[in-house]
Amino acid sequence: MSTRRRPAAPRSSSSGMTENEKKILGFVRSKQGMGATKYEITGGTSIQQALVTKATTSLKKSKLIKEVSNKGGKHFLAVEFEPCKELQGGDWYVDGALDVSMIEDLKEICVNILERLKQKVVTLEVICSCFQKASRDEYKLSRDQTKVILDNLVLDNVIMEVKSNRSSEHSALRIGEVCYKLIGKKSGGGEARDGAFASIPCGACPHIGLCTPDGAISPTTCVYYQKWLGI
Amino acid sequence: MTTTEFGIVYAVHIITSHFGSVASKVCECLLRRGPLSSREISRLAESDINHTKVKDILYLLIQHNCVQAFSIEPPDGSESKATVQYIALFSNILHRARYNKFSKVVNEELGSQCSGVLDGLLSNGRLTLEQLIDRDRDSKKQMGSEAIRDSLQKLVAARFVERVPSPEPVLGNKDEGPAQKKRGAKASKIFKEPESLDERILEAATPVDAIRFPFIFEQGSSSTVADDDSNISEGKRKQPEVDYTSGPSNEVIWRPNFEELIRRLRHKACVEMVKERRDEGCANVMKAMLEVGRSQEKKAKTDKSVQMSMGSIYEELIKTDAGREMTQERVEACLEQLSATSSYLPAFVIESDGSYIVDFKSIISVAQKDEMESVVMRRYGKEAFRMFRYLSQEDRFVETDKIADAALTEKKDTPQILLKMWKDGYLHMQKLAVTGVYMPFLLWKVNKLVVSRQMLDEMYHASLNLSLRLTHETDSEKELLLLPMEKLEGALKERRNKYRAKSVLLTSARFKLDDAIMLFHDF
Repeated sequence: MSTRRRPAAPRSSSSGMTENEKKILGFVRSKQGMGATKYEITGGTSIQQALVTKATTSLKKSKLIKEVSNKGGKHFLAVEFEPCKELQGGDWYVDGALDVSMIEDLKEICVNILERLKQKVVTLEVICSCFQKASRDEYKLSRDQTKVILDNLVLDNVIMEVKSNRSSEHSALRIGEVCYKLIGKKSGGGEARDGAFASIPCGACPHIGLCTPDGAISPTTCVYYQKWLGI
Repeated sequence: MTTTEFGIVYAVHIITSHFGSVASKVCECLLRRGPLSSREISRLAESDINHTKVKDILYLLIQHNCVQAFSIEPPDGSESKATVQYIALFSNILHRARYNKFSKVVNEELGSQCSGVLDGLLSNGRLTLEQLIDRDRDSKKQMGSEAIRDSLQKLVAARFVERVPSPEPVLGNKDEGPAQKKRGAKASKIFKEPESLDERILEAATPVDAIRFPFIFEQGSSSTVADDDSNISEGKRKQPEVDYTSGPSNEVIWRPNFEELIRRLRHKACVEMVKERRDEGCANVMKAMLEVGRSQEKKAKTDKSVQMSMGSIYEELIKTDAGREMTQERVEACLEQLSATSSYLPAFVIESDGSYIVDFKSIISVAQKDEMESVVMRRYGKEAFRMFRYLSQEDRFVETDKIADAALTEKKDTPQILLKMWKDGYLHMQKLAVTGVYMPFLLWKVNKLVVSRQMLDEMYHASLNLSLRLTHETDSEKELLLLPMEKLEGALKERRNKYRAKSVLLTSARFKLDDAIMLFHDF
């Protein structure tokens, strides 16, 4: 009998892999740019940690997955994906978590700029230049970053985006150039009205689907009604 | 839009409050099962109601414009008789909860005498002139027959009141189906939306305008024209056969014209929206435009008004005190503002070669958006609000992570927030399975029609809840309410005041909520 070892079969992305490796690769691919830690892989695939370690080592060797480290730990990504911003500690993430307070601070600065310049028409460039003059380095935003903050304020319904037209207000701008205004009557857009439905307990109620006239949750027994009516 | 579950429950509640539980069973049967004959209702209604009783209730509901009878022509050559069937008029049932709004519209436009006559028609469903006069004789504040007649004439001229529709219109038996598309380049322009059975019945029942709003009173005459179609022809007046003091069988029967009343409320809502989002001047201009175009609106829920010139708008505007203070330049500036579009507000007016068109759909959509977004904010929070607004703007399916990036929310929290909104019907969700990917992608979208329907159902539910709660509060203080207010002191007086405050809060909340219901259902 020959004792010569057969040469190792060439590995493709799907062939020559064990079942565990296939499962883990599929799971990691599903996480795209976020990747997955060993803990998440164990929980998501129900494969024992030791087997996960063996499989990930094998997949790394086959260059099917790669490892990205940050303060949150090691993450495995499929090679075809780039690590997303939070893994890289990108624009709005710190230590893998969204920096909500910084975002809120930046939004407040934008609102203050618009408030100060409310007699004028404010373009993205104007706001950008204000940020560039900021004393704190982390507040020196790029054009793209400033746009993200402004877009978020538009979604908050705090500011509005308008395109300049031929009116006297926009005379210094090119027609069609985007500019920003605070929302409010004086700015010409008015404020969104408070909804009639939202102003009663049923509008805010998370259990409206369970509420029935004679049920356990009903208008006669409702605690939100009790509170609203001042009982 | 087909009736939602809580729409039916709410309508049944209104009928129960006004006509009792037996009437509401008949009504519920019709609302849930569609058109039925009286025998079918008797068989199918909960706790079998005998046929005679069913007929009595149907006549009562017809009297109050909540039900319409009709029949379908038997097939050609068949010897069978057409069976009379009945449909419940869902919108008219809901109108019963807003009669005071209709009264206010008429009071503002035509004065208190006219609104007094309208009140009579609203509370009694339908009356002849004689019956209106009799009613006035029995009331504490009599107007007199002349005043009643004049008021009725004004109401008919303004189209707030109409002749009752045909009691049993006959529909053709042919299955008309959707209108056939004609071939050719213009095909898409002449394609007509298929009518529902309800729409066909109401159209068949409604007489032509000349009959529906007859000019019936001659100067100095004390008669009305008989309720006989052969006497009514456009532009002609015949010497009436029957004096108005004779029996009701020959008299025109009048009823409120809900279509016109709703149109006025719709116009009012549009003016209010323009005032909130633009300014007083723009609101005055909008009011004038609505007045100019009103008589040419074919239906209450029209998308756009007719074209009108700057001149006709200004002519109408200067009829009012506020309008007289506006120069033509100011009016032009307002029209420019109303025609402007931004990412925040769409145009409310369309300008085309110096003519202007009111875009009702655009104005109403802004008001609907405000309602939807308010609920999302209050129920699900600020982050959900941003996501909802982002998806509304995108108007397409978007993947979870992209939503998190746009809304600047934690990626790990975003799915939970989206799932909550999806479970309550505020978002549409699709799973996208990709080969080789372990878990499918979740895609999300705001489907405005679906959200509108969901919100409308919840608003009917909420309106029902407000009504039930008010009943509960009133029942709890039944004995206290029997005592005269002047005789109450100390704790009892305080309790009575507390009840009053709750009653006012619940009633005013229901009043405002009804405006929101009209926004989604009637406007």
